[in-house]
This record gives sequence, structure tokens and C-alpha cells, in this order.
Amino acid sequence: MRASQEKNMQAASQTNAQAKAQSEGPILEVKDLQVDFKADGHTVHAVRDSSFNVYPGQWVAIVGESGSGKSTSAMSVLGLLPGTGKVVGGSMKLHGRELVGLSASDYEQVRGSQIGLVPQDPMSNLNPVLRIGTQVKEALEANHMDVAREKRSQLAKQIASAETVTLKNSDDELFISAKDLPGLFAAAKSALEEIHAKNIDRTMEAFKAEWDVGSQTRWGVAKGLIKAGLDDEKAWSIAKQHVTGSDMNDRIAGLLSEAGLPDAATRARQYPHEFSGGMRQRALIAVGLASRPDLLIADEPTSALDVTVQKKILDHLHGLTDSLGTAVLFITHDLGLAAERAQHIVVMYKGRVVESGPSLEVLQHPQHPYTRRLVNAAPSLASQRIISAKEHGQDASKLMEHHTKGEGDLERSEHVITVEHLTKEFKLPRKKEMFKAVDDVSFSVKRGTTLAIVGESGSGKSTVANMVLHLLEPSSGRIYYEGKDLSGFNGQSLLDFRRHVQPVFQNPYGSLDPMYSIYRSIEEPLRIHGIGDRKSREQRVRELLDMVEMPESVMGRYPNELSGGQRQRIAIARAMALNPDVIICDEAVSALDVLVQDQVLRLLNDLQAERGLSYLFITHDLAVVRQIADEVVVMQHGRLVEHATTDEVFDHPKQQYTRDLLEAIPGGHLQLGLD
Amino acid sequence: MGKYLLRRILQMIPVVLGTTLLIYALVFALPGDPVAAMFGDKPVNQAVAAQIRAEYNLDKPFLVQYVLFLKNALTLNFGNTFAGQPVISVIGRAFPVTIQLALMAFVFEGVFGVLFGIISGLTKGKWSDTIILVISLLLISVPTFVTGFILQYFLGVKWHVLPATAGAHPGFIDLLMPAIVLGSVSMASIIRLTRTEISSNISEDYVRTARAKGMGNFQVIVHHVLRNSLIPVVTYLGADIGGLMGGAMITERIFNIQGVGNTLYQAIVRGEGTLVVSIVTILVMIFVVTSLLVDLLYAVLDPRIRYA
Amino acid sequence: MTDMTMNESLNGSMTESNAEVFFPDPLPGQERFVAPLDDTPLADVDSVNDEVPATSMWADAWKKLRRNPLFIISAVLAIFVILVALFPFLFTKQDPMACNLDNSLGAGTSGHPFGYDLQGCDVYSRVVYGTRTSVSIGILTTLLVTVFGGLIGAVAGFFGGWVDAILSRVTDIFFAIPMLLGAIVLLQMFRTSGSIWKIVFTLTLFGWVQMARITRSAVMEAKNLEFNTASTALGSSPVRNLFNHILPNSLAPIIVMATMSLGNYIVSEATLSFLGIGLPTSLVSWGGDISTAQSLLTTNPSVLFYPSAALAITVLAFIMMGDAVKDALDPKSKTV
Repeated sequence: MRASQEKNMQAASQTNAQAKAQSEGPILEVKDLQVDFKADGHTVHAVRDSSFNVYPGQWVAIVGESGSGKSTSAMSVLGLLPGTGKVVGGSMKLHGRELVGLSASDYEQVRGSQIGLVPQDPMSNLNPVLRIGTQVKEALEANHMDVAREKRSQLAKQIASAETVTLKNSDDELFISAKDLPGLFAAAKSALEEIHAKNIDRTMEAFKAEWDVGSQTRWGVAKGLIKAGLDDEKAWSIAKQHVTGSDMNDRIAGLLSEAGLPDAATRARQYPHEFSGGMRQRALIAVGLASRPDLLIADEPTSALDVTVQKKILDHLHGLTDSLGTAVLFITHDLGLAAERAQHIVVMYKGRVVESGPSLEVLQHPQHPYTRRLVNAAPSLASQRIISAKEHGQDASKLMEHHTKGEGDLERSEHVITVEHLTKEFKLPRKKEMFKAVDDVSFSVKRGTTLAIVGESGSGKSTVANMVLHLLEPSSGRIYYEGKDLSGFNGQSLLDFRRHVQPVFQNPYGSLDPMYSIYRSIEEPLRIHGIGDRKSREQRVRELLDMVEMPESVMGRYPNELSGGQRQRIAIARAMALNPDVIICDEAVSALDVLVQDQVLRLLNDLQAERGLSYLFITHDLAVVRQIADEVVVMQHGRLVEHATTDEVFDHPKQQYTRDLLEAIPGGHLQLGLD
Repeated sequence: MGKYLLRRILQMIPVVLGTTLLIYALVFALPGDPVAAMFGDKPVNQAVAAQIRAEYNLDKPFLVQYVLFLKNALTLNFGNTFAGQPVISVIGRAFPVTIQLALMAFVFEGVFGVLFGIISGLTKGKWSDTIILVISLLLISVPTFVTGFILQYFLGVKWHVLPATAGAHPGFIDLLMPAIVLGSVSMASIIRLTRTEISSNISEDYVRTARAKGMGNFQVIVHHVLRNSLIPVVTYLGADIGGLMGGAMITERIFNIQGVGNTLYQAIVRGEGTLVVSIVTILVMIFVVTSLLVDLLYAVLDPRIRYA
Repeated sequence: MTDMTMNESLNGSMTESNAEVFFPDPLPGQERFVAPLDDTPLADVDSVNDEVPATSMWADAWKKLRRNPLFIISAVLAIFVILVALFPFLFTKQDPMACNLDNSLGAGTSGHPFGYDLQGCDVYSRVVYGTRTSVSIGILTTLLVTVFGGLIGAVAGFFGGWVDAILSRVTDIFFAIPMLLGAIVLLQMFRTSGSIWKIVFTLTLFGWVQMARITRSAVMEAKNLEFNTASTALGSSPVRNLFNHILPNSLAPIIVMATMSLGNYIVSEATLSFLGIGLPTSLVSWGGDISTAQSLLTTNPSVLFYPSAALAITVLAFIMMGDAVKDALDPKSKTV
């Protein structure tokens, strides 16, 4: 009932925005864009015939895997193609003005003031030797936003009266300055006391939260006072007397606090390395929006961040751009995220737009086979565990049957790995107290099933994996493999353990030795354990390659010639070489594109079905968990937060943190269907 | 910052002790008679030999010898030369001209190294870059004394553009050519360093972000590319001061400048071991101290070091 | 097949959902668009490109080197120089030590193209024979420095902890003494005697530091790469990891450092000989010849010129080669 009401309201507001957008025409109109790169004398067509429009105030998402041309298209709009990239055809119009062929200095006018950028990697996009505040200031100065507010306001009015331009109503006003603030609070309080307003303290608290130095305007202050019960005259006189315009530092702090950075004035004087990833991304949002562009290009702005942080930042950005009326061109590889945030979706594949349209419509009725593939593979949209078709055929009812049967088995099967009260402490440099990376964690992995450990960075999940792999010594607690205590393993018994418990690591670029051919990499475990002779080992490598669906021709190749997903499959083949019972996957699919990720997950699942393997699956991505795991352990700050079957965790999460994680899965609550 | 300073100074102490011990051990603890070796080709004068033995406490146990040597070194008491002058006053007389030479070379390599490095880095792949790169390779390859002779022959002897040798009290003009020769190899290194830094920094993400802010090309280059690129260059320059003082030996020899290097050379020729060890010890101390100062400078310029 | 399962399950979960989702009319230019399949044929997910031949990192580097004209030029020069050093008698019939004061400062004649020096020795044959001294000192020092410095660096980087702490302090101490100054202190005691080994050992003693530092950081970097952890988890021992994974992966910066410093050692030897504390006069060396000829700068510059030119060209060849190797193997390195 309530949901439908909300939907109606949403629809109504959408129609309003619609009408407005239609009357003003698109901000950005890209038509048949062609971008080429030159490499080693030959030309690579990075983008071909790509077309899309962005209307005022709208979020438009470009979705695609790496190399699809989505970022290249966005950077073409900004005129910031890297290296040998060049726009060779088509047109890009901003407010009807052609951007293709614009001179360098004209483009400088456009950038910052009309098109802003929030880049992908918060770690590398801030200059490490400049203060955060300085980097925000540059954005203001570059677009002459540093002149006195009064003057700008007047200038804007003159322009407005000369031509029929509508002013953006609030941001050309005066901002509260740091020295205004105490006087303003005092005046507001005494005025409220004068009229005997109710809940003065609460109102003042609200004002404290709202009146950000360098961000809140005179107009906003006056409106707030009127809302609190003051008459118009009094409210405006207080606002006029106490909001006299901010200086540069106030404005910088204001922009940073708008972007959601607490204690902005102090933060502005710090350097990037003193910021966490999420804070840096907020600083970059402040930079991107500093000069109030009409269009913001957000290039995977949160892909490097934890899911809960990602959600917070995107929510904030959404609110901010809505209130400023900024249109956003949102680049992402995550279909769920795109559908959740944008009204219009553009799907790109190999440099071309393969499908575009209203986001829900595209998601619910994907028509191009590539889009269908994406929808099928997107973990955030999947609603249940992958069921291996290899073993169990494709009859749906049978599949369901198996699943329930599997759940029944779960109770009875024995434990392959048992972890009891596991704790790991690290000594931090130049600190006395020990840091508890893992704090009293217990769980067990049942034979033939998958247990997933989920947590964000710093949750201690990888430390657990390394201890189970006997690569790290626990500070206390016990780990048992087949009932035998790991701490007792050494020499031959350790080697024996290694035969049975194998890892697949996160980084597909790091876990294979670049000096080893694929053949040598897969053969390595056989050599270490002295299994077979040269001929039988080669035979085994061929079998393993076949098992992970890789052609035998890759044997002579080197890791740098393979894609991330292919390397990960090689790593799985290597792990399978010794016929292990348990495979520990430490973020094994996190670095992969969705389609490739889906492929690797299915491979893992098939192997489990065929060989009865047990998996300990470490991941930060709850969405993936649903596809692969039977049981879930949620970790936060080294502690076990929740432990239950996958369905229970998804359907009836017990802890707030688990709910936050579930809530943060992009597109998790979207309803979709396939034709 | 204060903590960092303290830590660096504390770290310097074992290095100072170690280097002096090493130099001392090389001279006095190797097999053979160090005193006889100090006489080089000349017959051993027993009286002088006895004096040296007493001066260096060679009759005492090794560690005692070293501690006494260290104490003397720290109080700048290096004993006397063969001619009977205090070593410290001989060195003191030679230092001013070497410092002047080193400073001139420093300015030369700094200005031209950075200038050509910037041109080369910003025009990477164009002809200007290629020419600068080839010249810098040449300067690095050709030994200083060869460069010295070539310049001396053409500029000094053949065309008389600059004085071929410096006199007893050389002025700015007299030291110009020696300074260029002295600074040329480091200049080439600075060119290459600046170029590498610029061409790697210019493709950094934060440079693109700066452009996306709407900053002009010149502003972006100055504020983001150059600022970041020059931090390692400045520290390289700083560390080179000590190197220039040591390297002055060859230049001073070629142009006959009566500085520390030439004094060192004369001491080598005359086989005055005490003088050689004293000068080298002082130069090494200068090198250690400038390295420390450079580390501190680096911490000032790069906030990441400061808080590490 | 899998699509089917997906369909089933999705439809299942959607039965009670909103069939009448609200789709506003799209704005102009944002209408539904689906590209024709012919334009964008779908490739297999993540297929291996079998058309490109397989290459290892070394093969890649070699390919880059072969295409670099600087490398070709410097390699040809270096090979020529090494040939001269190995077989000097193929290039001259004259004995460099057979000097006749009658020929003092004589001009070039047939068979003696570079003329005679002050002592009446044939300059050409001295230049030819001097090659062997310079090149062997350069190569021997490089070898010793690489083995000795590499070993110390590898041990420090691999074991870490107190081993690393001690070795790093020792490295700091040697680093604080510039090579030339250290060599002067040491060599002034053995000025008149000795062979090229004297120079080789001295240069090694003060030259290993750089190599140790570079090896240490390369080994530490390689040690922390995931493939080592992976190998350990496969059952490999730490020592096996060191030789099978860590060292091969640290090789690139070590090779770059070695090739680049070879030329520097040749310069250092020449400088020491020039200062009169290098090789004894009984050995033919460019540095020594330049040193004796420097007084002739104003009168007979050619006597000074030939050994200087030979020295410069040799060093240039090796340094240029090092530069090209650096670009091919370790383009991001900041070695100057």
C-alpha cells in the first residue's frame, strides 16, 4: 500500500522533471561518436557510432565491462582522452554547442564550470603533495569562482536582466562565513526566545547541523528562520545582518562538508594520505561540483570502495546533485547499480552502444543478447545459488528438489575444517597495544559445501583464510583439518595437508609467476610433491586445462598474455592439480568483470558438484555469496557478527551490520524479469 | 616533524661512527706497515715515522687507536703535515675556493639541468627531446677529465674565450669553465631525472583531474606536473653538494686551482697519508651531513615522508 | 540452459511483483534502442586469442631491444670493443711497450696512424692495448659487484628482521663514502704495485652498495607478491621459493643496474689512473696515458686526444646499452 503510494509520487515527480527537461532540451547530445587509439602503428576503434543524450537533472548510466569504451566515451566529452586517443567522427553538443574540434582554451572554459568530473580511483586522483583545501581551491579559481560573492551576484543579475536567462536560485547568494557564525546563532536564539518558540534547543540543534560555513546561503538561513516561526521581516533582517559572505577558506570548507566530509575546515588543511578512501572520494566530489557544473561525469566513482561506503557516498551524491539540479553521466560496470541510480541506461559492448532506454525497461526486458547476458550474470540481481546443470540436468523442478535435498544433507555431513576461538594479534609499528585482526572466530566447513566469509576491508577475513592455509600462525585458538590440529603439522604431515587444502587468491595478476609458462605454473604442485614423471605430469596438465575449459594451446603462453579471468581459471587448475578436498578462495572473483566472474563461479560450482569439493569462500561481496555459498559467516572488525545458512542470512538477517551489507547491494531490491 | 628530525639524527650517529671506523681501518689496520706506506716511494724517515706512530697512537690497541682518532677528528685536530704545518690550517686555506667552485657548479647544474630536463620531459619524443637526451648521454659517458681537456683546449687554448687555468686567487671568470666541467655530469643526470619524473607524472590521474577542474595547461604543468617532479630533483641536487666537493679533485687538478681537491692530489703525489686521510674524513663528514639535510628537505617538500 | 534456470527462478520470485511498472514516455533521443545483432556480433566470454604467438617477458624485452637503434649501435660498438680487448694483436702489430725516444712526439705515419707520444711509444698500439685493461676492469668489477652486492641484498631482503637491519646499517656506512674518495684512501697505500685486481677489488669494495640496495628492494617486492604465497601454500619451501620465484623475478633491475654501471667502473679506473693512484705504469691503460699526456695539451693535443676518445666511445657504448636495456626490461625504474 505504502509502496504503491511512493511509486505514484515518484512517478509524479518524474513527470514534472520530464516536462521541464523536455522544454529545456538535452544538456549533452552525443551522436555517432567515434574514437580511435593508435598503438604500434595500427588503429584501434575504441568507440564506434555511440549516441546518447543527457537531460538536465537526470542520471544517465553507461554500463559495460572493461574495454567496452564506456570510460573512453565519457573522457571524450571532457576532451581528456589519454595518450593517442582522438575523436575521429560524430558530434558532441553541450547546450547545443559543438564540443568536437573545440580549441584547447575553449575547452578549458567548458571543463569545471560546465562539466565536472568525479574520477574512478580516489587513491591516485588527488595530488599527494598538495593540501585537500588547495585542490578544492584550484577548482574554484580555475573557473573564476573566487571573486567576491557580492560582485558575482551583481554580475549574474545584470546578465539575467540583459538576456532571458533563468538564475539558479540559491547558489549565487552569500554564504555564511566562519566569523558570522557565533553572531548568527546568538541572534537566532534570542529572536526565537523573543517569540517564545517551542523546542528552541531542538531548533538550534537543527540550525547547527544545517548552517554549514561556506555552504549555507543567506536565502537558506532566512527560510530556515521563517520555518522556525519568525516573521519574514525579522528573519531577513537577521540573515542580512549576520550572513555577510564567506571568504575562500569558508567556501572550501563548505564545499567539503556538502560532500559529506565531517569537520571540513580542519580536514581541508590535511593531505590526501591522511584520508581514507571514502573521504578522498568525498573530497573529489567536492572538487567536481565546486564550480556548479550542469553536468557531472562520475566515472565508476565508488568501485574502489567498500559496499556500505559506496552506498553512503552515492546516496549523498544523489541528494546533492538533485538539490543542485546537476545532471550526472554515471559510468559503471554494475548493471544493478546503474538501474538503481539512473533513469536512462546505455549499454556498451566492444565500443558500440548495443542497447539503451529507460533503465527499468532495459533491465526487465533486455533485448540485445549481450544485455541479456549481463542481466543473467549480474550477481546483485541473482536471487539464489547457482545450481550446477552439469550433474543435475536442467529440469527446474528437479533443481529445486536438489537444493532442498542439499540443505537436508548439510545437517548430517561431517566437518572438513573446524575453526575454534581463532584469534590473531598483530604488533602495530610504534604502538604499544596489539591490534586484533581476528578476534575469537569459530565456524566449521561441512564436507562438500561452501562456507562464505563476508566482510569489508579490515574485517580480518583474509587473515582467517591465511591461518586456515597454515600461512599465518594463530595467536590463539585452534584449526582442525579432518579432526587433526593444524598446529601439530610439520614436515611430511604439513606437506600432506597442503596436498589436500589448496588456495585460489584474489589478484589474478599476482598469483601466477610471470616468469613461469602456464604449463610450468600448473605443473609446479606436481613437481613439489614429486608426483609422476615428466610424461604423466604433462598428461595431467592437459586434463586440468580441459577441466577449467582452457585450450591446450595456452600451455606455452605466459600469464601476461591472458586476461584476468583466464588467469584465475589457470590458478584453479593449479589448485586442482593435487586433487584437493578443500579449496580456499580468497576474493577469487572480486577483480573480474561480471560475465567472467559468473563464468568462474559456475566453473567452481561445477567442480564442487562433480568432485564433492568443500570451499571456504572469502569475499566482500554479499551478492556473490548468494550464488555460491551454503552457509555464511559475516565478519566486522575481526569479530564474527552473524553465522547462518545463506537463505537465512538473506531472508532474515539478525544483525544490523548484516542488514546494512544487504541494503548496500546495488540493485538488490529491484524487481526484474526476462522476456 | 620534530620526531622525524630526532630519528634521522639518531640514525646518523652509527653511520658517522661506521664511516670513520671504516676509513681508519682501511688506513691503519690493513696488513703491512701503514707508516711505511705513507712514505710511498720515498725512503722511510725513522724520525718522522716515530712521530707519526706517536701521533696516531699506533702503539696502543686498535679500538683505543680508533677512539683517539675519532676524538681528534671531532676536534678537527688532524696533526701536522710533513712540512710541519697543522693539517687543519692547510685544509682551511684550501676550502674557500673549493666551496666557491662547488657552488658555481651547483648553480650551473641546477639551472641548466632542470631547464633542459623540463624541455625534454614536456616535448618527449620530439627532436628537442632527442637532442637533449643524446647530449646528456654523452656528458654522462665522457669522463670529467676528458670534458675538461676538451673545453680547456678549445675555449682556453685555441679560441681564448675563457682563461685556460685559474691562478692563485681565481675570480668568477677564472672559475667559470671549471665549474661547468665539474657540474656537467650531474647536470646530465638531473636532465634525465627531471625528464623521467615529468613524463611519469604527466600521465598521473591527478593531472587529469586538475585538467577536469578547468585549469589551464600552464597552471596544470606548473602546479601539478612540475611541483611533483621537482621534489626528487631538488633532493638529488642537495645530495650532490657533497659529491661536488669530492669531485672537485679532478677539475682542480686540470685547471690548477689551489683548492681542497688539489691539496688532496698533492698529498697523494707526495704520499702524505695523514693529510689524505684527514681530507677524505672531512669530505665524508660533509657528505653525511648534507645527506641528512637533504632527507629533512625531502620531508619538508613531501608530506608523505613527514608523517611516515 | 542456464538461461532457462535463471528465467524460471526469476519469474518465480516475481509473481506477486508489480506487473504495471510505471514507464514514463522517454525524452527525445532517449527512446528504446537495440542495436542490430549483425553490427555487434557477440564473442565468447573471455576466449583465448590463439592468433598471437606466445611470448615470455624475456622474449618481449628482446623484441623491444632489437627495434631500438640506440641498442643496435651501442651493441655493435661494445662487441667491437670487446673484440679489441680480447685480441689486440689482430688490430696492431706494434708492441705498446716498445718505445723509442727518437720518435718522441713524432707525427702519424703509415703503420703508426696516431703518431708517437713523449716517450716515443706508438699511440695507436697503446690505445689498442689499453682497451683490454679498461674493459676487463669494467667487466670483472661488474661481475664481482653483482655477485657480492646481489648476495648481500638478496639475503637482507629475503630474511628481513635483524639480518636486514644489520646489513642495511653496513650498507648505509659504505654508502656514505663516495666511491672515488674511498678508493683514494685505500689505493694511496698500494700506489706502485699490483695488477688490475687491485683496482677491481677496490671498486667492488665501494661499489657493491648500490647493487645491494637495488637487489634488496627487488627481492622484497618479489617476496611479497602473491605467487610466493601461492607456492608456499602448494607446499614449496622458502628456499625453493627464493631460487624458483623470487630471484628470477628480481633479475630485471639487477641486470639494468649491472649494464649501466659497467661504463662507470671504466671511468672510475681511468680517473684513478689519471690521479696517479690507479694502475702502475707497467700496465698500458688509457687513464695513465691521458695522465702523462696532459702536459702536452697546448703543444700536442692529439696525443691526449686518442686515448680520451677511445675511453669516451667505450664508456658511451656501455652506458647507451645499459639505457636501452633499462627501457626494455624495467621502463619504470628511476635509475639515472
